[in-house]
Parts: sequence; C-alpha cells; structure tokens
Amino acid sequence: MAFSIPASASADQAIATASARAGRRARRARRLTAAGVGFVLFLALVAAAAPWLAPHDPTRQSLRARLVAPTWEAADGRAHVLGTDHLGRDVLSRMIVGSRVSLLVGFAAVLVGGLIGSALGLVAGFRGGWFDTAIMTVADAQLAFPFILLAIGIIAVLGPSFSTLIVVIGLSGWVSYARILRSQVLGLRSREFVDAIHALGGSVLRIIGKHVLPNVLSSLVVIATLELARAIVLEATLSFLGLGIQPPTPSWGGMVQEGREYLDSAWWIATFPGLLLMATSVVVSRTGDWLRDLLDPTLRGE
Amino acid sequence: MRTFLVFLASRAGRAVVALWLVSTVVFVVMRLSGDPTPLLLPPDAPRSEIFRLRTELGLDRPLPVQYAVFMGNLLRGDFGQSIRFKGPAIGVVVERLPATLELGLTSFGLAVLIAVPIGLLSAVYRNSPLDHAAMGVALIGQSAPTFFIGILFILVVSVKLGLLPTSGRGDWRNLLLPAVTLGLFGMASVARLTRSAVLEVLRADYIRTARAKGLAETLVIAKHTFKNAAIPIVTITGLQFGSLLAGAVVTETVFAWPGIGRLAIQAIYNRDYPVVQCVVLLSAALFVVVNLAIDAIYGLLDPRIRVR
Amino acid sequence: MTVTRRELLKGAALAGAAAALPAGLPGPATAQTTQKRELVVAQGGDIAHLDPHMSTSSNDIRISYNIFDNLTSRRPDGKLAPGLASEWKLQGQQAWAFKLRSGVKWHNGDPFTAADAKFSLERTYDPAAKTRVNTVFTTIERIEAPDPTTLIVHTKKPDPLLPARLGFYGGQIVPKKYLEAVGQEKFNQAPVGTGPVRFVSWTKDDKVVLDANADYWGGKPDFDRLIVRALPEMAPRVAALLKGEVDIATQLPPDQGERVKANASTTVAGALYGGLYVLAVNSKVKPLDNPLVKQALSLAIDRDVIIKELWRGRGVAPSGPIARGDNHFDPSLPPLAYNPKEARELLKKAGYKNEEIVIETTAGYMAGDKPMAEAVQAMWKDAGINGKVEIVEYSVRAQKNRDKSFKGLWWSDPTSTLRDPDGMMWRLLGPGGPQDYWRHAEWDELGNAARFSVDEKFRGEAYKKMTKIFLEHFPWIPVIQPYEDYGLQKYVEWNPDPLQQLEIRRFNFKFRRA
Repeated sequence: MAFSIPASASADQAIATASARAGRRARRARRLTAAGVGFVLFLALVAAAAPWLAPHDPTRQSLRARLVAPTWEAADGRAHVLGTDHLGRDVLSRMIVGSRVSLLVGFAAVLVGGLIGSALGLVAGFRGGWFDTAIMTVADAQLAFPFILLAIGIIAVLGPSFSTLIVVIGLSGWVSYARILRSQVLGLRSREFVDAIHALGGSVLRIIGKHVLPNVLSSLVVIATLELARAIVLEATLSFLGLGIQPPTPSWGGMVQEGREYLDSAWWIATFPGLLLMATSVVVSRTGDWLRDLLDPTLRGE
Repeated sequence: MRTFLVFLASRAGRAVVALWLVSTVVFVVMRLSGDPTPLLLPPDAPRSEIFRLRTELGLDRPLPVQYAVFMGNLLRGDFGQSIRFKGPAIGVVVERLPATLELGLTSFGLAVLIAVPIGLLSAVYRNSPLDHAAMGVALIGQSAPTFFIGILFILVVSVKLGLLPTSGRGDWRNLLLPAVTLGLFGMASVARLTRSAVLEVLRADYIRTARAKGLAETLVIAKHTFKNAAIPIVTITGLQFGSLLAGAVVTETVFAWPGIGRLAIQAIYNRDYPVVQCVVLLSAALFVVVNLAIDAIYGLLDPRIRVR
Repeated sequence: MTVTRRELLKGAALAGAAAALPAGLPGPATAQTTQKRELVVAQGGDIAHLDPHMSTSSNDIRISYNIFDNLTSRRPDGKLAPGLASEWKLQGQQAWAFKLRSGVKWHNGDPFTAADAKFSLERTYDPAAKTRVNTVFTTIERIEAPDPTTLIVHTKKPDPLLPARLGFYGGQIVPKKYLEAVGQEKFNQAPVGTGPVRFVSWTKDDKVVLDANADYWGGKPDFDRLIVRALPEMAPRVAALLKGEVDIATQLPPDQGERVKANASTTVAGALYGGLYVLAVNSKVKPLDNPLVKQALSLAIDRDVIIKELWRGRGVAPSGPIARGDNHFDPSLPPLAYNPKEARELLKKAGYKNEEIVIETTAGYMAGDKPMAEAVQAMWKDAGINGKVEIVEYSVRAQKNRDKSFKGLWWSDPTSTLRDPDGMMWRLLGPGGPQDYWRHAEWDELGNAARFSVDEKFRGEAYKKMTKIFLEHFPWIPVIQPYEDYGLQKYVEWNPDPLQQLEIRRFNFKFRRA
C-alpha cells in the first residue's frame, strides 16, 4: 500500500483543482446565462419598439422596387439595407416587426403549455389513482399523435389565426411540464412529512408553494426555454405548410416561407429572417442549458 | 418476474387506451375539418350529385353512427375505403410504407452511427475544438426549420455542387439528402444526449476509481462508460425512431419522396378521412410499440423502475 | 369572324413562341441536341386517377389525354382538329354525324369501333358509373352507332359546340369491351386506350411510366418512354430542370424564368392561358351588391404594374369576360382601366362607408394567387378601399364554392373549356352555375339564346351585349390573362397548350437530335 499515499495526495490535489474549475465554470455559466437572457430581452425590446425602429412601413409595397438586393450588393439598394421582398416590402422592417409575432407566439405558447401542463401534473400527482392514470394516458396519446398532422387538422377546423397558432403550439408542449411536476409530487408524497402536514391541516397549496415549486422551478425554467425555441421553429414550419399567420402581418417563419421560392435568385428574403430565427432558437435553448448548469450544481461542468 | 409482467400489462393497457384516444381525436378533428365531396366533383356539379356522393360515402349519417361504424371496422382491422383513391385505405398507405421505412431507417441509422460516436468523442475530448464544432452543428441541427435546411441542401449540394440528385426516390444517391435532412434533428439530439450521458458517467465514482487504479483511458471508457450510458442513449434513439413518421411529413414534401408523410398531408387537404386515420394510427402504434419495448427493456435492466 | 379569330390565334401563338425562344435560337453554335429516348416531365402534383372520366384536374389530364384519344382534338394552336373522328357535320339542327377512323387499335389489340365511342359518352352521364364528368354532355339526348365508323349524336336542342365539348375532359374515349370485362376498379389501375402512349406503371406520389405506342394512328411519338414525375415544391422542381434531371417542368413561375433562361441548357416556353384569372365577386353581400362599388374595385387595380412587375410581363390585361383567343373575343375593346381618382368618386357616389372587403385567397393553388391578392389589397388601400386578405386552404375554398359562402371576393381561374364564352362565362356565371351570385334578366336571356343557336353571327352580337352589361356589373373582376410557362431543355421542341394539356403527339413534340 505504499502507493496509496501519493495516490491520495494527487486525489486531494485533483479535488482542489476540480473545485477551482467548478468555480470558474459557475462564473462562466452565470455570464453566459446573463448574455442569453440579455439577447432575449433585447429582442423583446426591439419587438416592443418595433413601429419606431422599423425604417419603413413593413406592409408598404412597391411593386416597382421588388426583389431589390441588400445595400452592399446593389447600387440602387441604399434605401433598403437588407433588400426588399417579392412585393417590394423592406426586409429589415419586416424582420423587426415580425419579431413581435414570433416572440409573442413563442412566449404565449410556452405560457399556455406551461400552465396547462403544470396544473395537470400537480393534479395527477396529488390526486393519484384513476385521475393520474387518465392524465398520463392522455399524455401518452398526445406524444404518439404525429403532432404536425394534428396541428394541420386543428387549424383546418379553426382557421389560421394568431390565437389558433398559440393554442396549437402551446398544446403540443404540455406533456413535459406535466411529467416533471407529477414525478416531483410523487417523490414528495412518498415522504412522511407531507402526510404530517396534511394531518396538521396544512393546505395542498401550501405544500405546492413551499415544497414542490422550489424543487421544480429550475427544471420548469429549463423546459420553458427549450419549448420557447421549439415554438419559434414550429411557427415557421406551420407557415411552410401554409398554416401560419395571416398576411400582411410579418413573422419570421412566414418570411422564410415566402422567400423559399427565391432562395436561388433573391436569397436575402428568406436568409436573413431564417438566420435570425435560428440564432434566436440557438441562443434560447443554449440559455436553457446554461441555466441548468447554474441552477443544478450536480450537473455543473458539462 | 411476476411484478415485471404486471408492470408490462399495465403499460400495455395504457398504450391501448392511448391508441383509442388517438383514433377518436383524429376521427373528430377530420369530421369537423370539412366535407370531402366538393373536392371530388367538378365545380358545376348539381346539388343532387353532392347528396348522392355524400350518401355513397356514408357522410349523411349522424356523427355518432359514423363513429360507431368507424370503431367497429377498426376493431376488425378495416380502415375503410380511401375517398380519393377509391381503394382500401390500408392499401394506399401500405403501398407507400416501404419508401418511408427506407428513409426513416436510413436516417435512424445515420443518427446512431454518426451521432453516438460524435457524442462519445465530444465527451471524452470535452472543450476541445472537436467538441465545440460538433456541438455547434448539433445546436443548429436542433434549431433550424427542417424545410429550410432541406431546400438549402438541394440548392447547395445538388444544384451548385452537382453532387446528388435534387429529389425523388431512386438509388442511394437520392436517399442521402432527405435522410440527412430528416435525421438532422435526431442526430443533434442523440449527439448532445450521448455527450452528457457519457460525461455524467465519467464523473461517477467508479470511473474515478478505475482511473485511480491506473487502467488505460480507452479501457475505462470502453468498459464502464458505454455500458452505463447506454440506457439514456437507447431511450432517446428509441423516441427518435418512434417519431420519425411525424418528421417525415415535411422532409417528404420538400424532396418529393413518395412516402406516407406526404400522403398524410395530401389526404388531410383532400379530406380523405380514412387515409388520414390510417396513417395517424399506424404512426401512433409504431410510437407506442417502440416505447413499450423501451419500457420493457428498462424493467428488465433496472427493477426499481417498475415501482413507478 | 372565324377567319379573323384564327388569324389572331396564329398571331398569339407566334408571339408566345417568339417570347419562348430567344431570337436566333437554332443557330448552329448554340443548338443543343440529345440522344435521349426517354422524355421526363415534372409536374406540381401526383395524378389521382387513370380512369379519364374520374377527374377534371390538370395533373390527371396531362396523362389521360395521352393514354386516350378524343373524337376531336384541341390543338395547342387553339384549333379543333380531327381525333378519333376524321370528320363531322351538322345534320339538320339537332344531330351531329361523326365519321370515325378505321383500323385504330386499343393498346390491348382490340379494334376501336363506334360502339366504344357511344359507350364512352353514355358512360359519362350514366348514374351507375358515378363519373366525375357527368355534367359535360348534358345537351346529348341519344347516340346512335349504325356502323363501326359512324356515330350520330342527337342533342336536346341545337348545340353548336358539341364538337368542342368532345375535345375536352369527359370526351376521352374508353374501351367498351375491356372496361366491361375488368370492371371500373381494375380499369383505373391498368387503363387501356388508343393514345400515343400506353400505361406501364404508377408509383403513387412519385411517377407514372408510359411507353410509346408504336402503332399509334398519328405516328409513334419521338421517344420510347414517357415518365411524368410529381415534384410539388417549386424550388426542387426548377432545380431538377436546371440539373437536367427532367426535360419539361410545368408551372414555372415568372420570377424563375430568367434563372431558367440564364442557364446554358434550358429555356422557357409559354402559352397564353385559355382563360382568365379573375377575382370572383359575391354580389349578394353588401356593399358588393352595388355595381358602382364593383366598378371602383376594378378601377383601383393597376393591372399594368401587376403584369409588368409581379408577372414580369408574362401576361396581358383582360378587356372583359372573354379570354383572348376565344370565339367572339373583341379585339377593339380597351384593356380594363386603372383610375384610382375615378374609383374614389364612384365610391363616394355609392355611399361606401369603409366597409371591410375580404379577398379569400389560396396560397399556391393558382399561380401568384397570394402575392396578387396582397398587391390588390395595397392598391385598394391607396384608393380608399378597406380591403382584407384571408388565406384559405384549397379544400376550404372548394367547400365555400359549394356552399356559396364566400365573404367577398376570391380567386378563380375560369378555363375556357370550349374556347368559347359559353364554356367559360356562361358555364360559370349562368343561372345555377357554380358562380351564380348575380342575376340580370337581359344578360340571362342573351346567354341562354347564344347557347342554343347555331348562327355564329347572332351569337357574336349576343356576347357583345353581354360584355357591355358585364362591364357595368362586374360579377367577376378580371385581373390578368397570364402565360402558362414551362421550363424546357433546349433540345426539346414542344409547344405548350393554352388549356394545360401536355400534347406530346408526333406533330407537337420532338427531341432535337445530332
């Protein structure tokens, strides 16, 4: 066992460097999360101030100046920094104003899905029994249903509109929230103190507020960011299938969809909103990862 | 073993109920979405013609009666007659199934063969340029709309570089682009999950012990890590496989791939109820069966799960 | 009258051909040739039926017109030429006699006779056959086939357009013996016709494979095999053409024309559409029941800009409800005017109170439907009209069409099936027609009289008067008569058809060979 001493010494050293590294990681995660949240806040501000920021009216057409290239590509494109689309509308202005729809649909859908999912998850966890089984079976059914087809069907029934989109996209995401809350509640219920609180007359709401939510908040936030990214991409996909927001209101997904026929000739129509959409989605889901690193120390360092 | 069988039976029961729910929802949504008859007749068809066709298709009966007929037929394995193609709906779907399976299995294979090694390497050499590049690509793969990626592939790889055919079904060259497009999202998820699963295992105590014991690094990874990281990896790949059909909808439209995803979209637009019902149920059944299999494997591997 | 029309058509066809083929194309240096024996065509959707009487969609027609023949044949130049009938004449007022070709064989070797023709036409309206073309031959009273090469069709009233009706959908002749032997379902899976190509296979949502009929009475076509692929997305369809994977691509949007022409090996061919793109009007809802409002809506549309910019010049401005190239088209009428100032005055006079006027448009069902709707809405806005665009799915449009429940205006692309006003405005806008939202006693009387008159001079006068009434009431607001453009490899010699058929018979299709 002569080797045990240096081995353990190096282990100590390793632990020391590891904790230093963990500290650096935590700082890095905090910085990155802040940057990610900052980006989203910036977009939200842009969306809020869109009418004042947009250099042109996003719905103003000019058929004589359609498919004008971005400033640096065309001599006469100075008035339109990112060019114009197939109806001569300013691409930059449409992207700025379009952020409203994309973000609003995204956030509202996350809210709808989060509220429904959380509520069902809590009820399933606390009530248990057939109620639990019923909700989890519905969740199974939802996951098994090819979602795009369900969305097309629902939109065909209700007609494409802002609120329909929010409901459809929101409904598609409730299962993750429900599952995480349910398992948290089940975990708590297996501990005696909950029954004790019950026996002492403590209300269910109190249990939720004091013991359930603090434990799942980080998971919920992480899921919400992933869902937000998914919702923004989904809006674009539904637009591709012709089920997006109604014209002339611009949305990023709608712009990509309209511009896809011009990718070869007027690439700027779809490319800029497409890049912005992808960037937003990447940043938001990355922020979710960083947030998880920050909130859940055991996973730190990934 | 007995508890395992009970666990499996309850899971199977839930799966059957879920499938019943799926079939009911698809029935209701399709019926609410509109009437197929105007699409089948020329615009100047007289009213009597429309009524005749509605009667012929059984659409004049009250909804509950239609539902009962639908369920009764379903239990006998009969999905009804396609309204547009005038043949059994199941035949219309099965005819296109090989194309979708070919596409789906290829993209699934790509996801497993490419994404798992990449995730593994990323974990082992974490924070290396390789790791950053791979995870960057994976992030984009998860964030980009499929149709956008697909059209970009066609323009760059097929038209600009002239490497592969633009669309349609044929030999492996036709298959590559749509399979990568369809598999991209799955690949990205699998690669990222593999990486984090392996990382987690690498940090675990027994690995540290193994390292401390002086075992070669490759041996450590080979022996311990992969075995322990396998469960989450199997889960995510299983889930990806189960949802491939749903993902095929957009890919098949972009690449003119003659599979059931494209069939489903057209069937919805044509209000071809029986075909939609058939595709949705097959797809849901595939998903349910794959998940049941995963559950069963879990239950066998890890008895603790059965209690949940 | 007929002579001038034909002259005009020739002119239009030449103009189309000139626009399609850049000047001096077949110069020896640029002439491109091929050794191909296989013709590959890409269209925007798969076929649904092979049985020609089960469909009226253009995707199906492109194939069924080539597997089958009609008694008469509508050529790409607009003329009605002999098909399976070599000649025909009116007998008295209410009977048409057709002399049929002898020696024609079905693809399975059976001889074609007048009995097949009689069976086919009767099948279209036989309730037991449940065809989808059962309204095409409603003027027929009974059919006689006294000998194998004679067919006599008796009509209920004089029907000057019967030969024209026989040239369009519903008129494809199917084999009596084979169909009765195998039944409808089998026939739909393995059709047998007399046409220039015989059916080989159909891979759903992928392609239809057809082989050249070496024994075709009109000569074997200039290929051994025809493959029609379904490529629904425009970008991949054009990409396949640019890469040389397909020889002809249908439905080429005007914005893609330059791209296709700039490519060294491809070019564009177009035919002026045999019909119009119109905003149909639900004249029953307020304020569209007021003719002044509809006149204003028409005056507020700048058709020149739509055609020049949005369509890149690939279209002409309509002058009324009759398409250029049709019987009784009046070339002296000016194109529909653009005058937003007058539109404002008319609106004021009509008492328009900024009511919302809805355009329900499909997205991609008709070329340029959504962008045109958005452009029209913006033009209306400039003239003080509160327009709104709503996108509806194609099936919803079909449903609204049936229920007559459109909220205001919607896109329609009326096809001039007979190249005559009777087959277009009267078929659609007439009493009981699918777009019957507006009635006018004098207009109705004229339309009815013109349908059943064999006096072309009388018919011409009637359509002149009807056009005048139309331009006051605007049951349609015609917007453009576009070119139907196709992308071609330069080694393909082929003329597109105004009625969206794919005419690949020997007289119209050739591979340019070295």
